[in-house]
Amino acid sequence: MFDRFTEVVSLVLGALAVAYLVYEIDRRQRKLHDLWDVLDGEDAVITNTLEEMVERGELLPYAGATLA
Amino acid sequence: MPKAPQRPGPSRRETTEVALPSSAAFQEAGVSDTPIQAVPVPISGNEEPPAASRFRIFIVDSGWNSAARRVLLENFALIRDLQREDPIYVLSRERSIEFMRRHGSRIGRDPIIAVHDMQALGKRGTAGFHGFRLSLGLLRTPQQALMGLQAFARFLVTHRQSADLEADIRANLRREGLMGAIEIAMHHEAREIVA
Repeated sequence: MFDRFTEVVSLVLGALAVAYLVYEIDRRQRKLHDLWDVLDGEDAVITNTLEEMVERGELLPYAGATLA
Repeated sequence: MPKAPQRPGPSRRETTEVALPSSAAFQEAGVSDTPIQAVPVPISGNEEPPAASRFRIFIVDSGWNSAARRVLLENFALIRDLQREDPIYVLSRERSIEFMRRHGSRIGRDPIIAVHDMQALGKRGTAGFHGFRLSLGLLRTPQQALMGLQAFARFLVTHRQSADLEADIRANLRREGLMGAIEIAMHHEAREIVA
């Protein structure tokens, strides 16, 4: 009876540990994706706007040594 | 059909870019996107001309008084030296604010460093993957922001010749997420950058 109980507790704790690990991996990956985001079709408007500003000469490569 | 981007500026084979003292005057006038000056300089036979720019780097910063902004300002010169091959475009504060007004969901994430992969843009336009962006403003402490900036510089330098930048970025993100989990399992401190 006691062995069975400890088995169940071990299983539950093990499952909780695995679940926490999965949750933590997912959380970190979400955070990283938030921080480092790939540019794709959703960003087309912004990208085109910036590229057009460069093509039109409205934006020029920064020549200063430091940012103001 | 998206327009294929053109390479910036004059040929680097024949010219070199120098910053003139007058750039300070541009900054005083509130224009941060100071024009770069190209002066023809002969290249000796032994010198390899720099390769064409793989990336275009854009910095959007509306001016929040944040740790990330301070770290960016303090380390910008180094970033510029490390990314010498690629033009860096700094949007003025006014333009950055206008950008944030149009794209409200980005507010509070700046300074944002967007990198356009000119190779991907030339091949597929803006419909598919064409670069990445680092939302530096999401990093709250100076240490986190510095690590983020260093990771950014490292990634650009080490993946300049990458044939598939998207795959590299996704692989890195997976690896980072997994590394964090392994650190937890090993009872190490969680990585500061994603904590």
